[in-house]
Amino acid sequence: MMRRIWSICCSLKLAIVLTSMITGIAVIGSLVMHFNPQLFGGLNALSWHQWHNDYGSRAPLLSSWFYLTGFLLMLLAINTGCCFTEWLLRIRSSWRKTGEYLIHLGFILIIVAYFWGSFTGTRSEGERFNIGQTRAVAALPGHYLRLDAFEPVMNANGRPVDMKSSVSLLKGDRIVHSGFIHSNTPLIYNNLTIVPASYGQETIGYNILLTELNRTARIATGSTISLKDQIRLNILEFQSDAYRVGDQIIARGTDAINPAIFIRVSRNNESIWSGWLFLREPLPLLLQQAGFDFVVQSPILRFYSLLTLNTDPGMRLALIGSICMTIGVLFALFSFYYKRQRGDRPDIS
Amino acid sequence: MQILFLKTVFGFYLLSTSFYLWHAIRPKISIRRSAFALFLAAFVLQTLLLLFRWYTAGYLPVTNLFSTQFFFSWALALCYLYFELRYRIHATGLFVIFLTLLLLGSALPRNPSIPPLIPALDTVLFTLHVIFSFTGYAFFAMAFSVAVMFLIQKRLQTAILPDLALLRKINEEAVFLGFCLFTLCMVMGSIWAQIAWGYYFSWNIKSVWSSIVWLFYGGMCHAKFIRRWQGTGYAWLTIAGFGVVLFTYLGIGLLMQSNHPLE
Ligand code: HEM
Repeated sequence: MMRRIWSICCSLKLAIVLTSMITGIAVIGSLVMHFNPQLFGGLNALSWHQWHNDYGSRAPLLSSWFYLTGFLLMLLAINTGCCFTEWLLRIRSSWRKTGEYLIHLGFILIIVAYFWGSFTGTRSEGERFNIGQTRAVAALPGHYLRLDAFEPVMNANGRPVDMKSSVSLLKGDRIVHSGFIHSNTPLIYNNLTIVPASYGQETIGYNILLTELNRTARIATGSTISLKDQIRLNILEFQSDAYRVGDQIIARGTDAINPAIFIRVSRNNESIWSGWLFLREPLPLLLQQAGFDFVVQSPILRFYSLLTLNTDPGMRLALIGSICMTIGVLFALFSFYYKRQRGDRPDIS
Repeated sequence: MQILFLKTVFGFYLLSTSFYLWHAIRPKISIRRSAFALFLAAFVLQTLLLLFRWYTAGYLPVTNLFSTQFFFSWALALCYLYFELRYRIHATGLFVIFLTLLLLGSALPRNPSIPPLIPALDTVLFTLHVIFSFTGYAFFAMAFSVAVMFLIQKRLQTAILPDLALLRKINEEAVFLGFCLFTLCMVMGSIWAQIAWGYYFSWNIKSVWSSIVWLFYGGMCHAKFIRRWQGTGYAWLTIAGFGVVLFTYLGIGLLMQSNHPLE
C-alpha cells in the first residue's frame, strides 16, 4: 500500500497531469485577474494573508483559481520532491542526471520559498519619507529608517528617470546599515528590501514681496520677518493645507490648498501675540499696520521620497533555488547530448 | 547607412528563402548550397551590424521596438544556423527564416537610432533576461517549424524533408534547448524584479503567461517520455505551445494592457 502511494507521488504522469491542470487554470485565472484589477491589483502590494483577508475571501468565486493554482503548485512541488528523493536514493547509478535533478531541486526550493515569503513576509508600497525624517520600520520591530538625502534625476526633456535616496537603517539609535538607493540598486538588510517607488513635491512655504516695505522675505517654518515699529514675526510652523475644527488646526495634506502659519509676534523681543494665521484670509490689523502686506512671488518646494519596504524570509532560499536551476540547466545541456550519444532514447514509459 | 546595411541583410535572407523554396520544388545540390551561402552571408552581415550597434551604444540595444525586432530576428537566424549545421535541415526550418524576414521587414521602416539607456534598464540582468527570452522563443519557433514539418512528412513521406525519426529528435531538442534558455530568462527576470521592485514575482498578466510558457514547455520535457505522446502527439503539443508563446509575446501587447516593464 505504502509503496503504491509512494509510486503515485513519484509518478511522472502525475507531474504531467498537474502541469497541464496548472497551465489550464492559470490561463483562465490570468484573464480573470486582468479584468478584475480592483480585486487582484493588490497582490503585489500585500502579503497573501492580508490579500486573503481584504480581498480574496470577499470574492471567493473570482479568486478560486488563485487558491486552486496555489494548491496544485504545492502538489507539484511535493511530486517533484518525491521524484527528487527517489533519484537521491539511486544517485550512485544515476549521477549523470545531476543537471536535470538540480532543476527539479531548484523548482522545489523556489516554490517553498515563494509560499513562505508570501505568507510570512510583509509588503509596504510607497512609504513617504521627507528628507531628514526617521520612521519606524513596521516589519522590523526596533528598527527605523532615516532618509538622509534625496534627489530625482531628470532626462533632457525634464522627465524623471531615476530617484536617488541616501538612507540609514537604525536599530534603536545605532546605524546598522546605510546606503544609496536608486534604480536597480536596492538596500537589502536581512529579509528587508528597500527600493525606490516614486517621489513627490510639497510646498513648504513661500517667497514673498512685502509690498509696503518693498522687501522680499520667506514664509516657512523657522523663518523670521522684521516689520515696522520693532515688530518681529517668528513663523513657528507652516502648513500647506490646514483647516479649523473648533479651536484646533488640523493639517489635511501637502497640496498648497489652504496654507496657514503658526506665528509669534513680538515687539522689542517681547511676545505680544501668537496663533494660527490663514494666508488666504484677511490679516490681523496689527500686522497690516506693521507692514505685513505681501504678494507671493514663488512657492518654496521640497522633494520627498516614496520608498517600498518589503520583507521576504524566503528570498534567500529562492535565490539558492534559482542558482540550483541555473547550474542544473548548464549540466542538463551537457547530459542531454551525452545521453543522446549513448543512444539513450526517451522511451521510459 | 544602417538602413542600407539592413536592406542588404534583408535582401540576402529573401534570396536565400527563394532558393530554399526553389530547392523544395526542384531539389538540386547547387541550389541548396547557394541558399545556405546566401543565408550565411546575411547572418554574418547581421551579426556585424548587431556588434556595431552594441559597440556604438555601449550596451546591447534591446530597449525599443526596432532593437528588439532586430535582435529577435538575429536570434532566429542563429537558431536556424545551429540546426542547419548540426542536422542539415535545409528547408525544414523555413518557417524560422520566414519569421526572420517578417521581423526584419517590419523593422525596416522604423527609426534605427538607439535611444539613451534609461537607468531602470541599465543592468546586466535586464540584458540577460532579454537575450535568453528571445533565444528561447527562437528555439520554440524552430520546434514549431519542425513539428509542422513532422506532420507534413507523416502524410507526404517526401524525400525533400528529413525522415520522421530525425524530425522527432530535432523537435525534442529544440523544445529542450528553448526550455533551458527560457528558464535562464525567468531566473534573470526574477532577480531583476527583486532588485527593481522588491519582489521576484509580479502578479500581472505578462508574468503569469511567461510562467505558463515555462511550465508548459517544462511539461513537454517530460511528455516525450510517455510513449503515447511521442511523435505526432508531441508535434501537436509543440504547435499548441507556440500558440501560448505567440499570445505571451504578441497577444498581450496587442490585446491587453500590461504593467510589465517591456510592454
Ligand atoms: C515544474 C517542475 C519540473 C520541471 C521544471 C522539470 C524539468 C525537467 C527537465 C528540464 C528535464 C530534462 C528533460 C530532458 O532530458 O530532455 C526533466 C527530466 C525528468 N523529470 Fe522533470 N521537471 C519537473 C517536475 C518533475 C516531476 C514532478 C517529476 C516526477 C515525476 C519529474 C521527473 C522527471 C524525470 C523522470 C526526468 C527524466 C530524467 C531522465 O531520465 O533523463 N520532473 N525534468
